[in-house]
Formats: sequence, C-alpha cells, structure tokens
Amino acid sequence: MSILEMNNVTKQFGGLMALDDVSFQIDEGEIRGLIGPNGAGKSTMFKNIAGFYKPTSGSIVYRGVNLEGKQPHTIAEMGIVRTFQETTLFQELSVFENALVGAHIKSRSNVFSAVLGLDRLKQQAASEKVMDVLEFMGLTERKDQLASELPLGSQRALALAIALVSEPRMMLMDEPFAGMNAEETNHMMGLTRKVRESGITIVLVEHDMKAVMGLCNYLTVLNFGKLLAEGTPDEIRNNDRVIEAYLGGV
Amino acid sequence: MELFLQSIANGLVQGGFFALFAVGLVLIFGVMGVVNFAHGELVMVGAFTIWVLHAQAGLAYIPAIAVAIVLVTVIGLLMERLLFRPTRSDPLAGLICSIGVLFILQVIAALVGGDGPSKQVPPPYQGTLVMFDALRIPYQRVFSLAISVAALVSLWFFLTQTKFGWALRAVAMDREAAELQGINTNRTSMVAIGVGTALAGLAGGLIAPLTNINPHMGHNVIVTAFIVTIVGGVGSLSGAVLAAILYALFHTLITVYFGGTIATISGLVLMVAVLIVKPTGLMGVSISE
Amino acid sequence: MNSKGGFTIQRMLFGAVLLAILLVTPHLLSFHHKDLLIFLTINVLAVCSYRLVTLTGEWSLIHAVMMGVGAYTVALSVNHFELAIWFTLPLAGVAAGLVAALLCFPLLRMTQFYFLIGSFAAGEAIRLTWVEFVGVFGGTSGLRGVEAPIVWGIDFLDPIPYYYFSLCVVTICLIILYRIEHSRVGLTLHAIHWKAPLAESVGVDAWRYRALAFILGSFFAGIAGGLKVQYLGSVTPNQFTIGFMVFILIWVIVGGYNKFYGPIIGVVVLTIFDESIRSFEIMRPAIYGGMLILSILFLPLGLESIPAKLKFWFGSGTSPDEPPLSDQ
Repeated sequence: MSILEMNNVTKQFGGLMALDDVSFQIDEGEIRGLIGPNGAGKSTMFKNIAGFYKPTSGSIVYRGVNLEGKQPHTIAEMGIVRTFQETTLFQELSVFENALVGAHIKSRSNVFSAVLGLDRLKQQAASEKVMDVLEFMGLTERKDQLASELPLGSQRALALAIALVSEPRMMLMDEPFAGMNAEETNHMMGLTRKVRESGITIVLVEHDMKAVMGLCNYLTVLNFGKLLAEGTPDEIRNNDRVIEAYLGGV
Repeated sequence: MELFLQSIANGLVQGGFFALFAVGLVLIFGVMGVVNFAHGELVMVGAFTIWVLHAQAGLAYIPAIAVAIVLVTVIGLLMERLLFRPTRSDPLAGLICSIGVLFILQVIAALVGGDGPSKQVPPPYQGTLVMFDALRIPYQRVFSLAISVAALVSLWFFLTQTKFGWALRAVAMDREAAELQGINTNRTSMVAIGVGTALAGLAGGLIAPLTNINPHMGHNVIVTAFIVTIVGGVGSLSGAVLAAILYALFHTLITVYFGGTIATISGLVLMVAVLIVKPTGLMGVSISE
Repeated sequence: MNSKGGFTIQRMLFGAVLLAILLVTPHLLSFHHKDLLIFLTINVLAVCSYRLVTLTGEWSLIHAVMMGVGAYTVALSVNHFELAIWFTLPLAGVAAGLVAALLCFPLLRMTQFYFLIGSFAAGEAIRLTWVEFVGVFGGTSGLRGVEAPIVWGIDFLDPIPYYYFSLCVVTICLIILYRIEHSRVGLTLHAIHWKAPLAESVGVDAWRYRALAFILGSFFAGIAGGLKVQYLGSVTPNQFTIGFMVFILIWVIVGGYNKFYGPIIGVVVLTIFDESIRSFEIMRPAIYGGMLILSILFLPLGLESIPAKLKFWFGSGTSPDEPPLSDQ
C-alpha cells in the first residue's frame, strides 16, 4: 500500500525548473533512496513534501490526504518528519532538551498549566519517552551535554532522536551520512535500520552510494528535476542512463 | 484646487528630499544588512553643518553643502569601519551600535548649537517661481528639487552603468554568491555606506534652509525613511524613490486637509497595511526561496 | 545542577540577603531616590517582560508603547470609573495583551528586520493616536489627576508603601515569567529562536508561539505601565517614545539577554550608573550611547557574562557557557 504519492509535481523558481512533472510512489515500511547528481531536485522534493515549499503544480498525497496548502507543523502532526542537511540541532540546548522539543506534538503544554505546574504527569511521560529514545539511539550518557559539544556521529543520532520522539510514521532524511568516516557511516546505517524495524517508513536523500545501496530496497533517481529511473539497487547500478547522468554531471 | 496644486508642488519637493535619505538607508541595508538607526541623525548633522558654516560663519551655501556631505560621509565610513564591520555576523548588534551613534550625534549637536530654540537658516535663494499665475514655488525649493533629482539620476547611473555599481547590486542580492565570485565585500560595504551617508549629508544640506534645525529632528526623518522603505520594498531602490514621492504627496495632502499628526498616523497605518498585503513592499521581490 | 543540597542553602542565603536589601533600601534614600527606586522596580518588570518577547529571537520596538497602553487603560479606568488598583492593574495587562493579539496578525507575518520596523510603525501609530485624539487621551499633555490608590487605609501617594506594593506585584510577575521560561512552553520558544525550521518539522506552530510570547510579554508590560501611572498620577505620550524603548533595549542588551537575570542586572547597574553621571547633564545620552557601543563590541553577552568570564580566565578553566535551560 502506498503511503506517499507524488503526482506530476512541478516546482519552478522564476525561470528555473527545480522539479519537472515528477511522479512516483512510496510504500509503507520501505527505505526508499532518492538519489541524483547535485541540483537534481532531491532537497527541493523533500521541502515540498514537508510543506516548506509549495509545489507550483501537481499534488502530494499522504495516506489519502492531499498535502496542498498544509503548513510544515501540520504535516509533522500528520506523521511526516524531516531531518535536515548537515547538522541541524538546537546547538545551545542540551541533548535531553533537544529531544524533548521533538515531544511537542504528543505532550505540548499551555502557559497556565506550565505556570501552575498542572501537567506534571504529562511532562513525566514525555521525559520517559525521551529517555527511551535516547537509549535507543545510544545517547543516554550524553543527555546533559550541549548539542554543540557532541561528536559528529552523535549529533546525527540526536537529529534522528528528535525526529523519533515525535513518533512519526514517515521520516525524510536529508544526507544523514554526509561528512562521516567509514565507522560513523556503519553506525548510522545500523541506527537507520533500527528505525525502519520500528515500523517507520524512510525516504533517504544521500550521496554516499555505499550507504544508499546497502540500506535501500528501492531507488528513485532524479536528474535536472526530472524522474530519470526507478528500480532496485541492482537495476539502478546497471542502468545506462543513470551512469551517464552521474558521469556527465561530474 | 489652487491649494491642491500647491500641495502637489510642495509634495514633489518633499518627495525628492525623502528619496535622498530613504535610498541611502535602503542601499546600506541591502549591501550591509544593517539597519542604520542613526540615519536621521546624519541628516541632522548635515543640516547643522549648514547652520554653523553658512548661517553663522558666513561661508557660501554651496561650499557649505560640500563640507556637510564630506563630514557626514566621514562619519559614515567611520561607523562602517569601527562598528558595522566588527559586528557583521550579527545584524542586531549593528543596529544597536547605530543607536549608540544616534545618541552621541544628538549630544554633539546640542553642544555645538547650545541650548535654546530651534535654529533657522535664511534661504540663500530668495524669490519665488510663479507658474500659471497661481502656483508659487520659492526658488529655494526649486533648487532643492533639482539637486535631489540630479543626485538620484547620478546614483542610478552609478549603479547600473559602472562596474562597481554592478558589484554593489550583486552583493545586495546575495552576499555569499558575490563573495564566491571574488567581489570584495569590505570594499562594497565602504562604498555603500559612503554613498548612502553622502546622500544623507546632501539631504541635510538641502533641508537646512527649509526647516527648523534641532538635535532631535532626526526622529521624523527616520520614521519617514522607514515608511518609505517598507512601502517601496526593502530591497528596492527604485521602489524607495517611487514610494518617497508618493508618500510625500500623500503626507502633504493629508497634512493640508487634516493636520500633520493624522498624516503621520495614516502613513504608519499605510505601511502596516502594505506589510500585511505584501510583506516585501510594493516593488519588492520575494527572495526567500 | 550538581550538589543540589548545597546549592539550595546558598540560594536561601542569597535570597535572604537580597530580600533584606530590597526591604531596607527605601529607608536609606532621599525622596528623589525613592522615586527612582520605584521606577527601577517597574522597569525591572519592563525588561523582563521584554525578554519574554525576545525569547523567540524577534526583537520588537513596540514594548514601551504596550506599557503606555496599560498606563492609559489605568488612567481612563480610574478617572472615569474610579476602579480600585486590584482591578486596574490586571485590566492594564489585559488591554495591552489584547492590543498585542490584534497586532499579531499584521506584525507576525514578518520576521527579523521587517518585524522590528513593523512593530516600530505600529507603536508609533498608537502613540500618535494618543497625541491626536485630545478629547479621549488628552493630547500631548496627556491625562492628569489619576488618583493615588488607597489600599487598607494606606495612602500610596507615599513612596515607601507604594514601593513595597510594586515590589510585591513585580515579584509575582517575575515568578510567573520565570516559570514560563523554564517550562515546556519556554523550551519551545527557545527552540523556535535557535532553529525555527527544525522546530516546525517536529510539529511546532512557530507563529502561534511567537504570538504567545508577544501577547504575554505585552500583558506584563501593560502591568508595568499601570504601576507607573498609579504612582505618577499622570500619563503622557512622551513617556513611551522610541527613546524610552531604546532604553529598554539598552538595559536588556547591556545586561545580557541570554539569561533570565541578565536584563535585571542591566537595568539596575545602568540606573545606578545613570544617577552617578547626573552632573554631566547634557552629556548623559552620549555617555550612554558610548557605553552601549562598547558593551556590544567587547561584552556581547552582557554584564551577566562577566563572572563566568573571570572564572574562565583566572580559575577552573571550564567553559563560560552553561545550558540556558535547566532540567525540568
């Protein structure tokens, strides 16, 4: 069953076609790789799904609901959460606080109960949830450290943790492996598989081909904003048009 | 009808004056990303210079304007070098620093001018241009309008026809991209603030014979400049010029028929309305994507 | 955070000393300085409520006018309906909060520079309305004859009882503000400040939280304005100009806006400083301006950061940074 459908999605910036009539579907429980040379429109696609951009034309349908006109926070509430390129964290907050922000949807507080301390039970539940996720991500010992003090691998793990605390159905991961060494990449691949095993559909934009081929069951290739090819990692690896696009692009 | 036409004529003169300092503010904001809150005080310094040199010391008007421009430009360059450049990473810090400058300039003006009432500069150009029998424009205002237009046209030539003008506009559009292309942003900042403050100095010189000069006159200037900048679109120089003229006509007409305070309130409400409808201003283009 | 027991004793000692100072101070001061102490107390509320607005990273220039909204509300309700101070102060807060709520729709469409300028314009428009509509707001000379409240038979025209009264009101407000900042709501506000898109991507409606901070901050600003007019007995548009707004900004920034107590340090230190340079008269704004520039250039985190800096240079060598929020 498809969880997300892109129907003829087009995104134009002035004269530039960032996405040109792209259609594909993602099934529940997949790890889908979204690849392509630089400027192919992968990140633009993510931003359109997460509501940070509005498609110029076409529609994006999530579990039967058209996402047109929905704000990013609404889309997050519906269960799609994105992580960001490079390391986007609340650098000035502790690891625990970072993850706690992710608990917003499930345990938001209002001013009155916050001032009067009326929502203690709810907050306790949120803290427990956060601790569970930090444990899952192997960050328990670092919970009081500032996000900015973490090594790169742990920062990426924390970015995943923030997303996981919000209990998404689908996660859009934007280049989670960028800048990592082999060891960090292996660790992160393990974490990503664990996330998928917990029942979350994952869409992955990534340049690290080893990670993409190792993780994804199916790949969608974009080039110059157009859908170039789709298939299993083996099919894509041997696809002439994909090879040409990558060689020509570099 | 006579009153109406006369107001239009006065409004146009005002518009030229508004455009001079609004364009400077836009240029500085566009290229350097800093809101110069002391911009009104720079106009004030320009006007005070005319009062000291022309009205008090007897220097001729035109050389006095030249000195005012140089003086204000030097203040601007010092601000860039000492305040805005060290705080470039934090636009708020630059803004706060400019507020500090605002206080200092006000005090200096008060010290130079001494206590007492507002100063006046007798118009160096006497006489009145009479058109269509009814329309009367003092030569001083004609002069002011002519110089404003000349300055704005020169600025337009500078920005569109010279290599440096292109560089300035490139930085204003996208600082990082401009830096990658090898444009020296320190130099463009110096030029932007140099040109922007020179225009403020000129504006001060032109307004001096037409208004009451006091250390706090910058307040109205900056309020006007903000309205014009917002209505015209923050990043747009031509928008600022257009908005300056329209706003001057609007303000003059409402002042004539309803009074000055109502005129300013309407201007502020207009500005907020523009922000509601189109946060980037009338001529602004969205560059958020 | 570590060694909680010792920390609490230290805290209690500190609190006791602070309380003693706060209670004794007015009795040691001249009449003029008693006045000043009351204004200082009120200004502490002004800067702390302003800090709440800035938690989301947006700096407004309308806070002083929000104080004015509170002040005019009190003046009008006392002059026309003779309401008691128990009603006028909350009313001042609610009025300012309502005005802020209405302004959210235009103003919070903007961020950063646009918000700053937009809030300035809206504030100036409101202030000029007080100037223009003489019949209601008394024009430039404002509203006079706002009677000093009498509570439990104590005449608040006398500065000492009024000081204690405003101290109580301000303390209650500060406790509420502190609790807001250190709650989940406060955490969300911080999160929006540091990375709005990341907060939005996990479901935070950034607009609503910006609005919340703006309305709540204005509410407490309104109360501060109300306290001011109840003591002064009059209110004029000139008390709430951009000039006063700039002072709020200076107090917050020179004190340091990263910590709750930074702005309080700023307003206290600068008020004392300002009093000590009283003899310079005409030079005072320039000295202020110079200090502002120096503090931005050389002490960007504000006075609040001095102890940590000293510790860093001379002692333990630990980083001067501390998490801005403690655990829940």
